[in-house]
Amino acid sequence: MRAGVLDETFRAAGGRIRAALAARYRDLDLAEEAFADSCLKAVKAWGDEGQDLPRDPAAWLYRVAERAALDRLRRRRIRADNRPNEPEPAPTAEDRLASDDAIIPDERLKLIFVCCHPAVGPDSRAALTLKLVCGLTTEEIARAFLVSETTLAQRLVRAKRKIAEAGISFEVPGPEHWAERLAAVLSTLEVAYAKAHEDAAGSSRHAGFAREMLEVTALLCEMLPREAEVLALAATIRFAEARRPARMDAEGVMVPLAEQDPALWSKPLIEEARRYCARALGLSGPGSRILQMMIHALWCGRKTLADPPPWKAVLAAYDILVELRDDPIVRINRAVALAEVKGVNDALAELDALDGTTLAEFLPFHAARADLLARLGRDREANTAYDRALALSPGEAERLFLLQKQRLLLGG
Amino acid sequence: MQYMLLIYENEEIFGGPDKTGPIMADLGPRHFAFSHELGEKMRAGAGLKGTEAATTVRTTGGKQTIHDGPFAETREQLGGFYLVEAEDLDAAIAIARKVPLGKDGAIEVRPLLPMPPGLAAKR
Repeated sequence: MRAGVLDETFRAAGGRIRAALAARYRDLDLAEEAFADSCLKAVKAWGDEGQDLPRDPAAWLYRVAERAALDRLRRRRIRADNRPNEPEPAPTAEDRLASDDAIIPDERLKLIFVCCHPAVGPDSRAALTLKLVCGLTTEEIARAFLVSETTLAQRLVRAKRKIAEAGISFEVPGPEHWAERLAAVLSTLEVAYAKAHEDAAGSSRHAGFAREMLEVTALLCEMLPREAEVLALAATIRFAEARRPARMDAEGVMVPLAEQDPALWSKPLIEEARRYCARALGLSGPGSRILQMMIHALWCGRKTLADPPPWKAVLAAYDILVELRDDPIVRINRAVALAEVKGVNDALAELDALDGTTLAEFLPFHAARADLLARLGRDREANTAYDRALALSPGEAERLFLLQKQRLLLGG
Repeated sequence: MQYMLLIYENEEIFGGPDKTGPIMADLGPRHFAFSHELGEKMRAGAGLKGTEAATTVRTTGGKQTIHDGPFAETREQLGGFYLVEAEDLDAAIAIARKVPLGKDGAIEVRPLLPMPPGLAAKR
């Protein structure tokens, strides 16, 4: 029982404390290690049932973590110089201020910008953000990224070394770098959320991960309240999360968006998404993230399964989106909408106009093609397309869905 | 911090190892203007003769051999460099973006190792 309470406290306070330490000492490893030290001390100090937690556990953890960071720095210096132990430095005015119960300087925005610097590889950026800002364990992140824990740990070490060695600053970027750096943050969060979203059930052991994405996007909106794309991403993630309860049937088979029962969608999350959505629209005209948000909003506007799906409006949105962001996933999604509005033949022609060789390993391409071919009665080709899609290791719910469709095709 | 900006371009466009082809009539002055613009921030910089002029001294297991050519055959070759002073990586990247190129190319941004304290004092 107590362990659960402690874990929750550590998780809730971790991002902010690591960020404060990292910004102060410009050292991500030190920040992580010092926070881990303070958690260990906390388990000893208030880990037993019946013992009172401090009034403000986060402030307690921060104070202890600060001391641990100074200890570690001193030990490092001694190792480096082989000099005898120096006395602990007298606290500066800044130290006294920072030790105040109420004040843990909020440097999370700086930490997010550091972790998401475009000079760090995209996958490492997402992993680093989840680790340092959201407090996920290496094991949890490795599972979500479908790599071994060792691989992920190495990736994190390399990324942290790059940040330390290349001179990436621990500051919020200035106006001349703003657009590019913010774009890198947003794309990092998209990569991270895509990993959380893949798990349709939200039941595997990284189930909490989607919640962290809600928190980190809320935090970013709080810190950058006038950035339309930040608000749009926060809205998009909430719309998508709201639908999670309807994404799988009782047998664990994926349910396509148009067949999901809106009654199962989370109304509070949709409400929250709409608030972010309205703020984003108040700030900006259509950009690609705004349009993606709008497509989600259109779907989440459906009240019951009896309402006609909003295919026409969705297609109109994709028509604009494809002008702004012409990539395969947008083209494929547009073709899916096109099939409903203009007809399956037109949609298939769109897909077949795409470069099949570059998309050979792209699951959504084969899944969409298989469906269109099946609807045209071109069973043999559809069967092959389903085989291709299934060979590209879909998630369990999607695998079951594709198998079910393929079996229907074979008259089973 | 000091950063080395290493310029990689396909050297075929330069018209031979001395890089005196027609492209230099345009590129030369652009480099000149760029180094002027850098002013104090530029610590060093030069163009390099083509890889036809390169010789590699390789040491393997304590044995040294001399080879004709660059250390590795690549599609784009190291053709010049700037050594610049920049506050952080973002500032160095901002400079790297402006390095003149003949056509396509890449600028590798590498921080310099700090001088060990003892050596720095002797200088």
